[in-house]
Amino acid sequence: MTQTMQLGKAADQSFLGRVRSTLARRTEGRGVALLAVILIGVALFEPLVFTAYQVSLGRIALIGIVALGLTAVILMGELDLSVASTLALSGVVMALIPDIWLGILAALATGLIVGAINAFFVAVIGINSFIATLGSLFALRGLAFVLSDEAPVSLVNKDAGIAFGLPLLGPITPRIIIFILVFIAIQMFVSRVRMGREFFAVGGNRQAAFDAGIPVRRRIFTGFMISGFVSALAGVINTLERTTADPTAGSTVLLASFAAAIIGGNYLKGGRGSIVGTLIGAASLGVLQVALTLSGVQVPVQQIFIGAILLIAVTTDPNSLRAVVGSLRQVTRGRAKASSA
Amino acid sequence: MAKETLTEQMALGDLPPADEKPQPKKASWLVWAAENGIFVFTALLVLFAVFFVDGFASLINIADVLHRAAPLGIVAVGMTFVVISGNYLDLSVVAQIATSAVIFIAVSNEYGIPLAMLVALGAALLYGIVNGVAVGYFKANAVIVTLSTTYIGLGLLRFFSGGSIFFGPPDGPIATFGTSKIGPVPYSAIVLVIMAILLQILLTRTNFGFLIRSFGVNEKATRLGGTNTGLVIIGAFIVTAVAAMIAGFVMATFSNTAVSNDGLGYEFRALAAIIVGGTSVFGGRGSVLRTLLGVIFVSVLTNILVLSGIGFGFQQVALGILIVLAVSVDAIARKVSQR
Repeated sequence: MTQTMQLGKAADQSFLGRVRSTLARRTEGRGVALLAVILIGVALFEPLVFTAYQVSLGRIALIGIVALGLTAVILMGELDLSVASTLALSGVVMALIPDIWLGILAALATGLIVGAINAFFVAVIGINSFIATLGSLFALRGLAFVLSDEAPVSLVNKDAGIAFGLPLLGPITPRIIIFILVFIAIQMFVSRVRMGREFFAVGGNRQAAFDAGIPVRRRIFTGFMISGFVSALAGVINTLERTTADPTAGSTVLLASFAAAIIGGNYLKGGRGSIVGTLIGAASLGVLQVALTLSGVQVPVQQIFIGAILLIAVTTDPNSLRAVVGSLRQVTRGRAKASSA
Repeated sequence: MAKETLTEQMALGDLPPADEKPQPKKASWLVWAAENGIFVFTALLVLFAVFFVDGFASLINIADVLHRAAPLGIVAVGMTFVVISGNYLDLSVVAQIATSAVIFIAVSNEYGIPLAMLVALGAALLYGIVNGVAVGYFKANAVIVTLSTTYIGLGLLRFFSGGSIFFGPPDGPIATFGTSKIGPVPYSAIVLVIMAILLQILLTRTNFGFLIRSFGVNEKATRLGGTNTGLVIIGAFIVTAVAAMIAGFVMATFSNTAVSNDGLGYEFRALAAIIVGGTSVFGGRGSVLRTLLGVIFVSVLTNILVLSGIGFGFQQVALGILIVLAVSVDAIARKVSQR
């Protein structure tokens, strides 16, 4: 289900050849490896995680929802740092409106507007998306503080929040159902819908995409609005579950969702990546967090683990490895020349 | 044809700057504003504050502004190197400031100040090398790399310090330094001025400074010119880390205490100061002295907001909008001057 815009070399028709070419097209390798390592480690040291799968699933869902929205933006070679603040802001907006449904609508609309503003600065003004969304990361966090009067806002309709937290079918809570729906929707969007497939083209080679008649700017708007909407959805879910909206919410989600999307094999330069990979990344980080919490590891130490995974993820990108090998070769070649001279 | 249309429409940040031609600049108020606006705006802001904000133009308040501007400025002049090299920013200054402040107080209590400074320097070099290797040799995105090192660093610091506050001896040299002034000028502001002069010389008068600027303008040409570009990037991150370390010392002397939250918000305010000063986030253009001007602008603005009783939330919103607007002016001016 991974999509790349590359055309394969002349197809090797033997079974092994087909397996090899399929594997070469996949980008999830590192995510799968991490998941395997974490699952083995967890099975050895903290098997409780598997019995407490309800907790793990909930954790995966929260990281995963934000990471899925982020993936849509990363596929185009852009980045949305404002996801955590959008989560906090939309939660506050929702809690401030007494009517629960109106609140949810307003929160989701907030996410769409935030996405459109980010996209405006990236696509129309031409600012680098790291800087534009860094600005909105802080501005929106500030706005959440202003709106909430710098204190958590509790939900007027607490019963709705309590009802939301109850499992519907077995261990499946509404949060997990929403996560699965978001996953299916975005997966379908980028693999089956023309507009979504064009995301890969925009990320792979923007000039070529533009020349091929793809409305690049409009795609960037779509991507950022998806990311904003999805993070707002995560904000709604978070607020419903806690029955309060905290203006500082989401700061731990930022790091984890980035780690999930990048370890899942989405190239930061855009054009290659997969929604399934993000899911695998979110699963490994969710399991890791729950396992660490269950074994009594403090939050700062958990952040060391997740930060280290993010650092490894971003430096083991195939492009990065190629760059390192290249400069190593340059160094050794230089040495050889120097010694022969 | 189509290419030009796209360049005009999108001003792709990731197009190689090699496409830029050194065309004669067309006179445009926007280009002028992007380059020199900061002088006018800073002057206007200070005049506005003097005449319309109660309590701004008092000796006590000015001393306070300088006092608060010092650590911010020291971080910002160091981070200017990373920005000019075209690597956006170093988010991990948050962790660097806190690490050096905590090491400074905690180690000097036990083993004296010189050793504390050495240990802090070791930590700063470690930050610089890790960030620099990941960005320079692995070609990883600087924002993501420094985001991860921020959390790793803060996590380690909180783990080892237990999140507790460290106090220096009440009448030791640290406390004396933090409260001493020459006239209304606190010692910390003098440290800032010395740092700025040294770094400006490093940026404009040395080979290393030249390579930083050249890397920011055209990475490929710098590499093909026979430069080990990875080392240049490591150098930029080390300059930033050492500056953040000194800012951490200065912050520790203010209150004679240190805690792992010390650096929060500095990455953002330093970036605001650098960008408002006119250093381009697209790399290659900028100067340390401009950053100093940006620091004055941001500090005066913050001071006006505080004096007018505007809360933390609005200050964040104002700085966020300021960053995005300043970069927008820069981006539009680039497009106009390329036309």
